Amino acid sequence: MPLTDLLDSRLLLVTGKGGTGKSSLAAACGRLSAERGKRVVVAEVDSFQSPMPGLLGRTPEFQPRPIARNLDLCNITWLEALEDWLHRAIHVQRVVQLILRNRLVNLFLDATPGVRETVILSRIAHLCDEYDQVVVDLPASGHAVGILQVPWVARELLETGPIRDVADQVIELLARPDSRLAIVALPEEMVVNETIELAERLRAEVPVLAAPVVMLNRATSPSLTADERTLLLRLHQATGVRAGDGQAGPVAELLRAGRWEAELEDATREAIARLSALQLTPFELPRLGALGGFQGGPDVVVQQMARALARGLSRELAGEPHG
Amino acid sequence: MAEPVLDGLLREQRLLLCVGSGGVGKTTVAASLAVQAALRGRRVLVLTIDPARRLANSLGLQRFGNDAVPVALPDGGEPGGSLHAMMLDPHTTIRQLIERVAPDAASAERILHNRIFRAIADSIAGSQEYMATEKLYDVVDSGRYDLVVLDTPPVKNALDFLDAPGRLARFTDRQIMKWFLAPYEEGRGFGRLLWGTSAVVFRLLGYVFGKEFLGELSEFFQAFRDLYDGFRERSEAVVEMFAAPSTRFLVVCAPTASSVDTARFFLGELRQRGLPCAGVVVNQRAVVGSVAPDAEAALGALAHEHEAGLAPHTADALVARLGAADRRLRELAALEQRRLAFVGQAMAPSQSIWGAPRLEGEVHDLDALIRLGGFLTGGAP
Repeated sequence: MPLTDLLDSRLLLVTGKGGTGKSSLAAACGRLSAERGKRVVVAEVDSFQSPMPGLLGRTPEFQPRPIARNLDLCNITWLEALEDWLHRAIHVQRVVQLILRNRLVNLFLDATPGVRETVILSRIAHLCDEYDQVVVDLPASGHAVGILQVPWVARELLETGPIRDVADQVIELLARPDSRLAIVALPEEMVVNETIELAERLRAEVPVLAAPVVMLNRATSPSLTADERTLLLRLHQATGVRAGDGQAGPVAELLRAGRWEAELEDATREAIARLSALQLTPFELPRLGALGGFQGGPDVVVQQMARALARGLSRELAGEPHG
Repeated sequence: MAEPVLDGLLREQRLLLCVGSGGVGKTTVAASLAVQAALRGRRVLVLTIDPARRLANSLGLQRFGNDAVPVALPDGGEPGGSLHAMMLDPHTTIRQLIERVAPDAASAERILHNRIFRAIADSIAGSQEYMATEKLYDVVDSGRYDLVVLDTPPVKNALDFLDAPGRLARFTDRQIMKWFLAPYEEGRGFGRLLWGTSAVVFRLLGYVFGKEFLGELSEFFQAFRDLYDGFRERSEAVVEMFAAPSTRFLVVCAPTASSVDTARFFLGELRQRGLPCAGVVVNQRAVVGSVAPDAEAALGALAHEHEAGLAPHTADALVARLGAADRRLRELAALEQRRLAFVGQAMAPSQSIWGAPRLEGEVHDLDALIRLGGFLTGGAP
C-alpha cells in the first residue's frame, strides 16, 4: 500500500522538479502525520529563501521549533550542520573549537566536494533518532540524487574516519524498510519526463532505497462528458480559436477557458498513463481551483493537500483504488 | 510596433541570462528570445542546461553534448542572422576545462585519472553550475556569436550559479593551495615534517577526514596546483562578464504566488550583487479579452448548430460550463494582475516588465517559439 508506506515511514524524503509543489507536499505530510499522533519534524535542506513561512507559518531555523501540536520545523543550514556534526563526531571540544575558528580549515571544508552533503545527511540521520517521522524537503531532482549518492562516493574513497562513519550510517538509514522517497510531479510532459528519469537514476544510484512513490500534483479529473468534448472540438474547429492567443471575438472568448480545461484533463490522463506504464502509478493530488484560479494562500494549499492525503489513506486502508 | 526596450536588448546586448524558479518556462523564454534576436540579424547561441526534450528536439538537438547545433530560421528575418543551440554536458565540459587550463597534457592526465577527481566529477551536486559558467565564458569569448542567451538552472541552484565562479576561485585560492602544498614544495614528505600553521591545519582536517585520506586529498590538491591560476583567471573573468555593460539578466516567472515571490527575491539578489537586470518576463499569463454581453447567446446558437448526433442538451450543458469556466478565467486574470503589481513594487524605475500569454499545449516547436517571442517583443500577432 504505497500511500500508507509513505505516510507511515520514519524518513520521508520529498523531491521532484522545481515548481511542482515539493515543499507544500512536505508540509502537508508533516501536518497529517502530526494529526495522526506522530512526533514529526519537517526539515528543509539549506534553503536560501524558505517557502515555509507561507506554508507552515514560521521561518525555519537550524534548531527544530514547534509550529503545531506534535509538529516541528527546521532548516538544515550547512554551517550549523557542520558545527553540530563536529560536536557529535569529534568528542574533544577543544578540537571542534579550533576547527571552527580556523579560517583555512573552514575554507577547505567549504571547498571540498561532498563535505556539505555529508554533514547535512548526518543531521537528517540524527533527527531520525529524535522523531517518529522526519519529512525532508530535498532540493530539486538532480541535486537530490547528488546529495543521496555522496555516501557511496565517500565509502569508495575512505576506509575509516568520521566521514566514512556518516556514510555507513546514512546508507543503513536509507536501506531501512521505513525509509521512503516521494517524487512530486505535475501533469506536464517535461515534468513527467524528469520524474521518469529521476526514478531511473534513483534505482541505479541509490539502490538501497525503496521504489519511489509519485505524487501527481494539480491533477484535473475528467468532468466533460464524451459528447461535450466532441462538441467543444467541433466549436473549436468552427471558430479556429487557440487558447491564450488573445484572438478576440465574443464566442472565441468563451471557448478559450473551456479548451484550457479540456487540455488540463487530457494532460492529467496522459501523465497517469505514462507513469503507470513504468510501474510509477501516481497518487493524484487535485488541482485547487479551476484553471489555477485558486485564491487561498499557501497555508490553505497545505491544508487541502493534507486532507487529500488523508482521504487517500483511508481509501487505501479500505482497499479501494486511488483516483 | 516592436516593444523598444526588449528590441534594444536583443539588438545590442552580448549576453542575456534568464534566471528564475523551475516550471515557469525559462528554457522556452530563453529560446524564444534567441529566435527573435536571430531574426533581427544577429548571430545567436542559446545555451541550455536543463531542457525539455521536445523543445530540444524542435531546436534540432538530438543529444546532450557540447557542440553548437545550427537551428534553421524561418524566412523573413533581417539578413545575417543565425541561431545555434547547445545543451550542456557537465562531464564533457569539465574534461575540456581541465585540458584547457592544464599547462601540459601530462598534468591534465594526472588530474583526470586522480581517484578523488573521478569520484567528484560524477557527483559534485553543484557541478552543473561550475560547468555552466565555464562553458558560458568559453562561448562568449569565442567571438563566434553576437549574442549568447543562457537558460540558468532553477531556483536554489541559480544562486549557486551566481556564486559558482567565486566558489571555484575559493576552491583554488592560492593561499589555501599554498598551505596544502607547502610540504611538497619544500621537498618534505607528507606526514614527516608537519609543523607551524600548516601542521595545525593538517591535524585539524585529519580529525574530519581521517589521517590516511588526508594524504590522498593532498595529492589531489597537488595535482590541481598547476591549474589554479587558470581557474582563478577564468572565474574572475566570469564575474567581470556578469557585471559587464553588454550583459543583462532577465528574471523569468509565472503569474503564480510562489513564482512571483521568487521573482522578487531574484530582483533583490541581483540588485544587491550589483548585477545588471533589465526586468521581469511574466510567462504563462491568463489572457482575457473584453466580454460581449451577447457572447453566451451567440455561443449557444453556434453550439446548437453543431450538436447533431450528440446526446440531448449537450449544447446547453456545454455552454453553461463554458460560461462558468470563462468567469473563473476572468477571476484568474484579475488575480494575476494584482500579483504583477506586487512584482512591480520590487522593480527599479529603469526596469521593465514583459508579459506573454499561456499558449495552448506545451511550447515545443519553432512556430510556437516564434509566437511566444512575438508576444514578448510586441511585434507579432
